[in-house]
Amino acid sequence: MTDATRPAEPGGQAPGRWFESDPNWFKTAIFYEVLIRGFHDGNGDGVGDLRGLTEKLDYLQWLGVDCIWLLPMYPSPLRDGGYDISDFYSVHPDYGTVEDLREFIAQAHERGMRVIADLVMNHTSSEHPWFQEARSSPKSPKRDWYVWSHTDQRYKDARIIFVDTETSNWTWDPVAGAYYWHRFFSHQPDLNYDNPEVQEEMLRVLRFWLDLGLDGFRLDAVPYLFEREGTSCENLLETHAYLKRVRREIDELYPDRVLLAEANQWPEDVVHYFGIGDECHMAFQFPVMPRMFMGLRREDATPIVEILDTTPAIPDGCQWGLFLRNHDELTLEMVTDEERDYMYAEYAMDPRMKLNLGIRRRLAPLLENGHDEARLMLAILFSLPGSPVLYYGDEIGMGDNVFLGDRDGVRTPMQWTGDRNGGFSRADFAQLYLPPLMDPVFGYQAVNVEAQLRNPSSLLRWLQRFVAMRKEHPVFGLGSYEALRPSNHRIFAHLRRYEADTILCVHNMARSAQAVELDLSRFEGLVPYELFGGARFPRIGELPYLLTPGPRGFLWFELREDDDG
Amino acid sequence: MGDLGARLAAGGTELVAEEGLRGYVVSRRWFGGRARDPLQAHVVDCVPMPPGPRPLAIALVEVRYPSGTHDVYQTVLGVRGEAGKVPIGGAGGEELYDALEDGTCAPALLDALHREAVLTSPGGSTVRFTRVDGHDVDPDAPARPLGADQSNSAIVAGEGVLLKAYRRLHAGMNPELEVLRFLEEHGFRHAPSLIGWWEHANGPLEATLGVAVRFLRGAADGFTMALDALGTDPSAAVPRLRRLGEVTGRLHATLASDAQDPRFAPEEPSAEMIVLAQASLDDEIVDLFSTLVEHEHLSDLAARVEEVRSRVRLVEPAGDLGLRIRQHGDYHLGQALWHEGDWVLIDFEGEPARDIGERRRKRLPLRDVAGMLRSISYAAWVARLERGTVVSDAWEEEARAAFLDGYLRVVEPLRILPALRESTRRLLDLFELEKAVYELRYELGHRPEWAAIPAAGIAALLGREGP
Repeated sequence: MTDATRPAEPGGQAPGRWFESDPNWFKTAIFYEVLIRGFHDGNGDGVGDLRGLTEKLDYLQWLGVDCIWLLPMYPSPLRDGGYDISDFYSVHPDYGTVEDLREFIAQAHERGMRVIADLVMNHTSSEHPWFQEARSSPKSPKRDWYVWSHTDQRYKDARIIFVDTETSNWTWDPVAGAYYWHRFFSHQPDLNYDNPEVQEEMLRVLRFWLDLGLDGFRLDAVPYLFEREGTSCENLLETHAYLKRVRREIDELYPDRVLLAEANQWPEDVVHYFGIGDECHMAFQFPVMPRMFMGLRREDATPIVEILDTTPAIPDGCQWGLFLRNHDELTLEMVTDEERDYMYAEYAMDPRMKLNLGIRRRLAPLLENGHDEARLMLAILFSLPGSPVLYYGDEIGMGDNVFLGDRDGVRTPMQWTGDRNGGFSRADFAQLYLPPLMDPVFGYQAVNVEAQLRNPSSLLRWLQRFVAMRKEHPVFGLGSYEALRPSNHRIFAHLRRYEADTILCVHNMARSAQAVELDLSRFEGLVPYELFGGARFPRIGELPYLLTPGPRGFLWFELREDDDG
Repeated sequence: MGDLGARLAAGGTELVAEEGLRGYVVSRRWFGGRARDPLQAHVVDCVPMPPGPRPLAIALVEVRYPSGTHDVYQTVLGVRGEAGKVPIGGAGGEELYDALEDGTCAPALLDALHREAVLTSPGGSTVRFTRVDGHDVDPDAPARPLGADQSNSAIVAGEGVLLKAYRRLHAGMNPELEVLRFLEEHGFRHAPSLIGWWEHANGPLEATLGVAVRFLRGAADGFTMALDALGTDPSAAVPRLRRLGEVTGRLHATLASDAQDPRFAPEEPSAEMIVLAQASLDDEIVDLFSTLVEHEHLSDLAARVEEVRSRVRLVEPAGDLGLRIRQHGDYHLGQALWHEGDWVLIDFEGEPARDIGERRRKRLPLRDVAGMLRSISYAAWVARLERGTVVSDAWEEEARAAFLDGYLRVVEPLRILPALRESTRRLLDLFELEKAVYELRYELGHRPEWAAIPAAGIAALLGREGP
């Protein structure tokens, strides 16, 4: 018997083995963002880990997740949730080992799920040996891996991002006897991408993880790689050129992988991260998210329609990443000042809920635990052109804890059961990395996976069916988008079309039932079939088509020939 | 050789009019989609076989559904100069046909296995044939197709080789290949020997295309045997079913025997496992029962939908659940052959409609057991409905008890089952109900006249003592 065809290692190394080859897989994928620390504790030490996460793969497969996005799993002093990396080639001991990660990836692949991980290219932790070496002497070979200056007056046009904690992008280092450049926290010195060694090293990092089986990266903070005087030091041509180089390298050696850019910028700037289809495969659509919340509160579809109108087309082979909430604050950088004031007033009544330019709350509390609202927002998210990204816990409507510092309030332990520690860990309560929620509304005894699995009308069960239905219609990931603009502005109605599939999505932003007339005359003769239940609606005629969605309700239809002939 | 044959021999994918291919695929029993959908079919990869009397090529056919989703099926296309059975299309006096269907590709497959050939398409995709050490095949052996099977195509060659080609392809290693190799390596004697296999790579997907196993001439499958016994001497089947229970126990014992192989090592079930299964089953019941109103003879059952759902919901096995292991996955009497005085188990590919990830998943072994218990019930009902045999309820009870007794005696000492017999009973109820619900959907779609069988099964389960 030859050994050539054995799965060489458990699950095999090539991720392709368990998937049809498809360079566009990410366009129809459902992403699920996981905080390893907060998901499931496999070894009982109070901190979530890779073994614990691996044990929950059946759950994620049941939910219909196509791609798991791991928040940073690297060694780190954890002063910024792991985005302060102190070793790019290893796994934080709290989470396990590189072998544990390899096993997790293999197990995910065998279940038909892909795995991407966060990678911070822009900066390191100040505790990274590279920085320690760099600061030790101007002659250190690593000195030029970071950005140093004798004055803090350079690059004055670059904004400060973490306005709540930082007063300058330069910090004086007494050991180095110089200022170092940092776009984020002062303990996160920026790498110097003008140094070819840094460029090469980061490619080595990428290859290391791709060789291990990762299906791609969510590239954190990509706009800031290079600095140039007289500019905002964001979105520079040099940054794009380097990202294109990264892409070339991946295309040559690693088929069917994905680069997802985190560029919290206006869409007209973000699209440059797609290049001409030769840079990142995906980028987050940041501005649409606050406008969905705005539209909901104003009971008006206009903010959503408008932001989609101003969203430029993207190259073939590229895709937007769409989300309602994530591990960060709900960022309000990409809204006007007036809109921001409105959002604060409506969604952050308590000043503790604000952070930097954003609101640090989870989906369910933002929606005042409204079940119809959660379903409506998820429906809109799933209907838009792009790939939805779910944040762990939001599928059961988990709450947050505004009394915890920074963004920890939205990073509490996943609530699996009503048992001790919410089924997250067997450790003593006092050992847990953060306390689980215990309040009467959002606490683990009220909100948990097990209880929702047992309840057929729970958010979780509904979402699972919704995900399955969306998968049957690649149109949501691949199709065209066309807003219908009915005169009733409380209705967000649009069409998605791909191959022979035509889907009509109608969402009622209002708290009251609404009537809406849609001009569907070009589909005259076709029949709308409701997508969830398959109910046949009246045939489309010449006259405006009347629909009456309930409060915060939505109706999705497949327009097709009449089944009854 | 004409133009069509030349194109096939060159690995071309544009062979006949699309309608021909589409019409052929949707007319086959192995086609799993809905034939009434306006779907499209085209060859996406074509790997020519070495020149022979007729041009042949292993071809992957992609079927695209109106929404834009697709499935991939395997064919071995051939070109013949004369008209024959079920042609796919023709051009210039030549006719394209599926040589898996009539078995005419057997000599080429056997030859490739014999030589452990690696075939390559012009696009660089490959089909690799591998033979197990110590086994060989005779390329000149006379071959005949073995009809009947739904999901794949089998050809018997010579005295003892069964070539089994999978039709619907999924990325990944087919569990049948994986399990057969494992069983053989671990000394399990109740499965056919693996002779070889062939697999596709570097194309649209990596997939096992087929296996060659020892063919058991003169074997009778358990289902036919049970039907025959019911017509003559029902009690004769009982000791054999007890033996089948023992063999099933040994199968599970073997599958659970290697803690070092992560593909097979038994695992602790996760906390959600049962609840996830219950949630999926609950959705399935709601979905299926909403369609029962269309069937008058099932209206009694349709009215009991809430009873069925609460029955599912209420199962809460006490204590530990045992271990999750790899298993047969599509276990019923038809998968057991009585051969030379003992049982041989076949068809380890799992349920072909499910994707590989799901089929390879470790599950509680009682799922296989529930499959066989349902099959015993089926045998009794089919004997009544098809053959007019009078079968007493007591026979079914006796047969079930014998099978279970044989199984538990082998497996209970192994600690892969729940610690409490009561939990075993509850889980079996749940899995039998699950199986019966899936059967009901299947029968309504394929053999509506048999829908009464799972319907009666569900009613019987409801009548049993509750959880």
